Amino acid sequence: MTGATIQAKNGVNGAVSAVLKSLKDSGCVDAVLVPTRVKSGETFVYLLIRNPKMLDSCAPLPPVMPVQGARALQSLTRHGKVEQTVLCVMRPCEVRASIELAKRRQVDLENVLFMSLDCPGALRTRDYVNDPEALDKRYQGILNNWEGDGLRPTCETCVHFSCEDVPVDLHVGLVGTKEEEAVIIGVSKRGEELLDKAGIECSEDVSAWQVEVEKARDKKAGNRSKVVSELKDKAAGMDNLGLLFADCINCHNCMRVCPICYCRQCFFDSSDQVRLRAEDYFAKAQARGGIRFPGDMMQFHLGRIYHMGLSCVGCGACEDGCPMDVPVSQVFAFAGDEVQKTFDYVPGRSTDEPIPTLTYEEDELHEYEDA
Amino acid sequence: MADDGAARQLDKEILSPKPGIQSPAEGGGDFQPRIVGFLCNWCSYAGADLAGVTRLKMPPSMVAIRVMCSSRVDPLFVLKAFLAGADGVLVAGCHPGDCHYQTGNYYTRRRFALTLKVLEELGLEANRVRLSWVSASEGGRFAEVVTEFTETIRKAGPNPAKTEVFL
Amino acid sequence: MHNARGTTHEAYCVEREALSMKQFQVPRPPDDALRDMLASLMDKGKVGGVFALAQTGENSYSYALITDKKLLDHIVPTLPLMPANAGKMVSRLTMLEPVKTPIAVIMRPCELRALFELVKLEQARLDNLLFISYTCGGVLEMKTAKDGLQLKLEEYWKQVKTGGVSEDMRDSCRVCENFVPTGADITLTLVGNDNGKQTTVQVNSEKGEEFLAGLSYELTEAGPELEALDSMRKKRAEQKPDVFGQFAAEELGMAGLTALFGRCIGCHACGRACPVCYCSSCHFEAAENEFDPSTLETELTNRGALRLPTGTLYYQIGRLFHVSISCVGCGMCSDVCPVDIPVASLFAKLAGSVQGMFGYVSGRDAEEKIPTSTFEMEELEEIGA
Ligand code: SF4
Ligand code: SF4
Ligand code: SF4
Ligand code: SF4
Ligand code: SF4
Ligand code: FES
Repeated sequence: MTGATIQAKNGVNGAVSAVLKSLKDSGCVDAVLVPTRVKSGETFVYLLIRNPKMLDSCAPLPPVMPVQGARALQSLTRHGKVEQTVLCVMRPCEVRASIELAKRRQVDLENVLFMSLDCPGALRTRDYVNDPEALDKRYQGILNNWEGDGLRPTCETCVHFSCEDVPVDLHVGLVGTKEEEAVIIGVSKRGEELLDKAGIECSEDVSAWQVEVEKARDKKAGNRSKVVSELKDKAAGMDNLGLLFADCINCHNCMRVCPICYCRQCFFDSSDQVRLRAEDYFAKAQARGGIRFPGDMMQFHLGRIYHMGLSCVGCGACEDGCPMDVPVSQVFAFAGDEVQKTFDYVPGRSTDEPIPTLTYEEDELHEYEDA
Repeated sequence: MADDGAARQLDKEILSPKPGIQSPAEGGGDFQPRIVGFLCNWCSYAGADLAGVTRLKMPPSMVAIRVMCSSRVDPLFVLKAFLAGADGVLVAGCHPGDCHYQTGNYYTRRRFALTLKVLEELGLEANRVRLSWVSASEGGRFAEVVTEFTETIRKAGPNPAKTEVFL
Repeated sequence: MHNARGTTHEAYCVEREALSMKQFQVPRPPDDALRDMLASLMDKGKVGGVFALAQTGENSYSYALITDKKLLDHIVPTLPLMPANAGKMVSRLTMLEPVKTPIAVIMRPCELRALFELVKLEQARLDNLLFISYTCGGVLEMKTAKDGLQLKLEEYWKQVKTGGVSEDMRDSCRVCENFVPTGADITLTLVGNDNGKQTTVQVNSEKGEEFLAGLSYELTEAGPELEALDSMRKKRAEQKPDVFGQFAAEELGMAGLTALFGRCIGCHACGRACPVCYCSSCHFEAAENEFDPSTLETELTNRGALRLPTGTLYYQIGRLFHVSISCVGCGMCSDVCPVDIPVASLFAKLAGSVQGMFGYVSGRDAEEKIPTSTFEMEELEEIGA
């Protein structure tokens, strides 16, 4: 793998925005989908930018992930491919969610290119919006040292923070690079061509960066197995699972902010689920002495795992969007891991890998059949 | 609302740049207001037609969208046009008491009062939306309404929503 | 305006009428008094179930429909938390058909008002429901449930006793002046009462009296204690500049609104939690509101850039069009917003203006029509020019 060093005297965002501008100027990219700070400064939104001037203020690696990028891309391509070439600058988990959505036909990848960055994780949006200045500082520290307090728990255990197993065209390497420097890499053939056209020559050896990525990944993998084994104990059995979700008020917001949960009408909000005949509610109540309103909380969470656990990319959007701070994404990342392993499937790894439940092999999984 | 003809037309008419009409932001010089007019079929649309065939003078600022009754105008139509960058939005129907469907425009009036109130309270320029009663025989009145409204809007300048990217 | 019951003063009188002159006292704290009352009602077969806030775990609470008397131990009907608006929940219960077995429903005034709005919107039915409510001191933010609840409760009840306002309350409660339930059959007067020791119960309707007949309560003729209610009303009015000030029209406008909703993540949790946002399929989540590729091209040409997903202000202002006429100011929307946008304060402020225009107070009376679903021939002349 080869790449090019880019100067980051004005921070990562400045450096990447310069690259984006030259890509745009070269004419091979028509518009860029990239996070940008809002005018009041308290958060970031995805902007689809065509006017190159607006690229000056973009923030390719914001400290937070208020809207999962795949949702932004979905809103752009749900009704058909884009005619222009759009470069999406996203965190790796957002790219992976986009790939999963494409497999579920909610995103059209034609004319879409991806650029990702080594992601140190994200801070909780709620914390950030209430004190952006302090959290900007904290995030700068995290970027410098590649660790620090306040990251979302799910990010602490994320092993897909770089471009391995993430089908991007361009990637910006940050781990272990010299201060005020980053490397840009054309990962795919398209990506290489783009850099070439933009006059960015990629001939430097980037193996030093790769070594650092490995190191960082080992550390995260360590965190992950620790958390997973803890959760395994904590989540075993209905009662324990119930405790993890004890604070849940059943608002279903985790589903609505999840990039993978794309259904316009969620089954768990459907009339079949929430509008029973009064007599039926009564019968349900009488069977146990009482029922909760809104009901079926565990059914919702478990059902959601069935629906989308295979595609869960562990992005943490659900936890970020939960008003009650329920550790949803930690449970989902753990449950997702288990089902994904069963099929040796890594969500978002490649557009060519079908979602396991949408395909089959004749000779497989006999251990699940009664012999 | 958009599986509805009116709304589709709205998207097309308002969102598509018209050759020759440019906002000052695009360096087009003089500001030419663009107004979306929702006109009820039985009165105001006929009134507009009359103004047209009798060749009354009025600025070419309005894109007309025909609706069967002023009460068909969901406040969201007005909002959608407003946020899409229409400089003004006109809702016009039969005079109270004359609605083809008897009472439609009485409901329109209440809904429009609500629409105005919300816009006012939000500090959005409520003078960019207007409700007018124009009958089928009032070609002259229609021309007046359009002329007057266009002047109001010209004074107000282009709708800032037109170029806002964070909305 | 034309509508007879316009002014705040008049609304106030309606509320005073709502509290009857018949009452009794129980030397027990309200939740205990209610559990006793409900247990007797169940024993005597007068109600077949109870709908109330219940404790479901160490720090967790949920509304529940209870049919087994033993589970009444779990109800906490006056605990100042609102995990969901009970009006919305009762709408789920009664949407398809009225309940056949009578049940006692305990909810806060704004929840009752939400339910009445839902009845007008044909989303709920009132048959066979016995309504128990109370003069309401407000609720704490839901997150308090797992964050120092006990401590905050102490301060809360102190304020309720003297008709004050507690700092930890939802903003919407700090400014709510409709804290006396209208339309309840039985009302506990918590405000101004020493709720650690005793409970005062007003019986407001014949239905209420019928249900309580044969139970061991002795009704006496005595009016409600109005002093504390007045004090609370005054203290809450004083909170308005603090809660509503930031939403003055001149502070908003396009710039102010994009700033206020800059942090909105478009999750629509506010709408889904809102009792009067009842549509099973929301307009703002419809495919028609997403851009097709050609519209998108136009937008990009016109603006140079575009926020994605689109429609943040369209949703917020549109929702104001849809619900400001029925908003009961319950504060659910703010409480579930994951990025702490004070949605409820904005909505409650606009609800005040919009409803005021028609002399309407949402949910005050289940029989009154929602102003946009009716009209008068001679009105609003200033509007059509
Ligand atoms: S379940 Fe949570 S972590 Fe998994 S993809 Fe959805 S939002 Fe991300
Ligand atoms: S967002 Fe949180 S509170 Fe809401 S349903 Fe999901 S886990 Fe429960
Ligand atoms: S808009 Fe907010 S405050 Fe008003 S009724 Fe709905 S949830 Fe309650
Ligand atoms: S915002 Fe409007 S369309 Fe959506 S649920 Fe609420 S009332 Fe219905
Ligand atoms: S809950 Fe908050 S973030 Fe979500 S849509 Fe409503 S205002 Fe926006
Ligand atoms: S038909 Fe013209 S307003 Fe109803």
